[in-house]
Amino acid sequence: MEKKDIIQSFKDSLFTGLIALALFGPIVGLRTASKGEGLFITPQWGVVFLLVGLCILGRFLINLNSARKTEITFFSKFTSKFSAITEDKAKHFAITAILFAVVFPFLPFTDRYFMDVAIMILTYIMLGWGLNIVVGLAGLLDLGYVAFYAVGAYSYALIATTFGWSFWICLPLAGVFAAFFGILLGFPVLRLRGDYLAIVTLGFGEIIRIILINWYEVTNGPDGITGIPRPSFFGLPFKRSPDEGETSFHLFFNLEYSTMHRIIFLYYLILVLALITNYFTLKIRKLPVGRAWEALREDEIACKSLGVNPTNTKLTAFAIGAMFGGFAGSFFATRQAFISPESFTFIESAIIVAIVVLGGMGSQTGVVLASIFLIGITEMFRDLEQYRMIAFGGAMVLIMVFKPKGILANRKPTILMHGDKK
Amino acid sequence: MSNLLSVENLTMKFGGLTAIDDLSFDAKNNQITSIIGPNGAGKTTVFNCLTGFYKPTDGQMFLHREDSKISLRKYTDFKIAYVAKVARTFQNIRLFPVMSVLENLLVAQHNELMIASGYSLFGLLNLKSYRDKEQLAVDKAKYWLDIIGLTHRADDNAGDLPYGDQRKLEIVRAMCIEPRLLCLDEPAAGLNPKESAELNKLLKFIKTEKQTGILLIEHDMSVVMGISDHVVVLNYGKKIFEGTADQTKNSKEVIEAYLGVDE
Repeated sequence: MEKKDIIQSFKDSLFTGLIALALFGPIVGLRTASKGEGLFITPQWGVVFLLVGLCILGRFLINLNSARKTEITFFSKFTSKFSAITEDKAKHFAITAILFAVVFPFLPFTDRYFMDVAIMILTYIMLGWGLNIVVGLAGLLDLGYVAFYAVGAYSYALIATTFGWSFWICLPLAGVFAAFFGILLGFPVLRLRGDYLAIVTLGFGEIIRIILINWYEVTNGPDGITGIPRPSFFGLPFKRSPDEGETSFHLFFNLEYSTMHRIIFLYYLILVLALITNYFTLKIRKLPVGRAWEALREDEIACKSLGVNPTNTKLTAFAIGAMFGGFAGSFFATRQAFISPESFTFIESAIIVAIVVLGGMGSQTGVVLASIFLIGITEMFRDLEQYRMIAFGGAMVLIMVFKPKGILANRKPTILMHGDKK
Repeated sequence: MSNLLSVENLTMKFGGLTAIDDLSFDAKNNQITSIIGPNGAGKTTVFNCLTGFYKPTDGQMFLHREDSKISLRKYTDFKIAYVAKVARTFQNIRLFPVMSVLENLLVAQHNELMIASGYSLFGLLNLKSYRDKEQLAVDKAKYWLDIIGLTHRADDNAGDLPYGDQRKLEIVRAMCIEPRLLCLDEPAAGLNPKESAELNKLLKFIKTEKQTGILLIEHDMSVVMGISDHVVVLNYGKKIFEGTADQTKNSKEVIEAYLGVDE
């Protein structure tokens, strides 16, 4: 390490500090406070200087680290170890993770809060796996995936409240509706690729949300739909005092009534749904249609020259991806028992896309890791209230810095001629 | 030898520019027909018309079968490969780079496998009928990989192969759709002399062993003269000469087109 390098990195850190000052100055430094009548600005320069100082120090340390120009720096050691674990032992990891997920509700430290977070993470994992078909395999960047989530949730809510059918009938119907909307979106965007496709799908997501807000007669507008039936355990409802002629879950199994029963049931429900999504994706990836999706992602013109029908291939990707979004949507509706357009804003789409991209496009395990990381970190910092989005952003930046291709970016061929050599 | 392809009065205009002007030629079964000409002569445009990427302004293209002939104008897009069985390769290689070599060859057999998998239904149920069909497809891929000597790399990503091997892989990938007509757009571009010789061998093999006619665009004259049965020379979208390789070499018009005319 030469003196010149140190001066250079010191200059660079000062420049970083300047940018930090420009950003933090107005955002953090000038705080509005209401005193008596009207708003006043209270400056808090101490905090600003602390933050700027941290930025300068951090940048300086990173510079020193990279200036050493050796392979085995702290960070690369960390990341290479991490990828070694996950690449070689992806299968072991998957089995362990599933086993852990199965016993999770009965672990001693698991309480209601943990269960809720786990259900949320699993919902995002399922959405991530569903979107992975469209974005990861078929390479169609869909920024409006939440639309299918919304269609699934509203289909379930409307069918269940209107006809009173059970969850298990409404679930596939919601999936079919969502798939139909997937095809509906698919048709106009067949010719689009990349940025243009992203813009149109983004618009589609907003269109669905705005329809939900304005179509008051059907969707009840911004008030949302209340009283969505809770799922029952094969006909046994989770109620303290069941209606006349009904047996509820705790009475049937001779248990003491607890609200946890329903939570645990919901947890296993979403776990099974998510695993079905995963199993289906892993299977279909090895079928001709799955290979055609990936080929389409690689080169559409070459696909055409080989007789692959790009229209059908894209539409199946949209439809199947949307279907799983719809399943997740019905689960969401039955869990919340209340839905409104508020739950289906663009930020949801953005989070799902972030999970897929940061997990490593097309990687199933990557989606799991990214969901746990992003949703878990955001939840851990829930006490910070509005600052928790900083934690979310920070988590994204960390992944992008250390794993620019996503947490797990390795792709295994769908079929091998010489068998597995490893 | 029977006619395979007849192009009649083909014209392609892009606005005011006439890229192909009233072009007619024939290509025969089990023969290699080369289309040569200086840069910008309209060779690739002919290919794009034949393979459905462009819709010609005027003219007809017929593909002859045993007892009938079909008009290629009727087919566009992916149907050229799927229904009419015209396959092509590209000037800049278009493999699926992060898919394995074997997967590349299986995508080329997509339509048969799709039907065999009952549009994914039988495949999801993992029925034996589908698994057998998939094995057949793998066997076919292996057959072609043996021919180009790439079997040992079947499970590697296509993008990781050396350039020459990628060229050969693209050709056999096109062969996996069992084409009646194979259109090769500058297959020898960027190859060293040894690789060119291997390419010649491969093309000769396809020509004699398979029921396929080959249409070839090429600048490498050692390839053109070495293997062509018939040569069509284009300049500014017009056919200026047609004949065997030897006739072409000695043709005054062709030499003038390439080297210019003495003032």
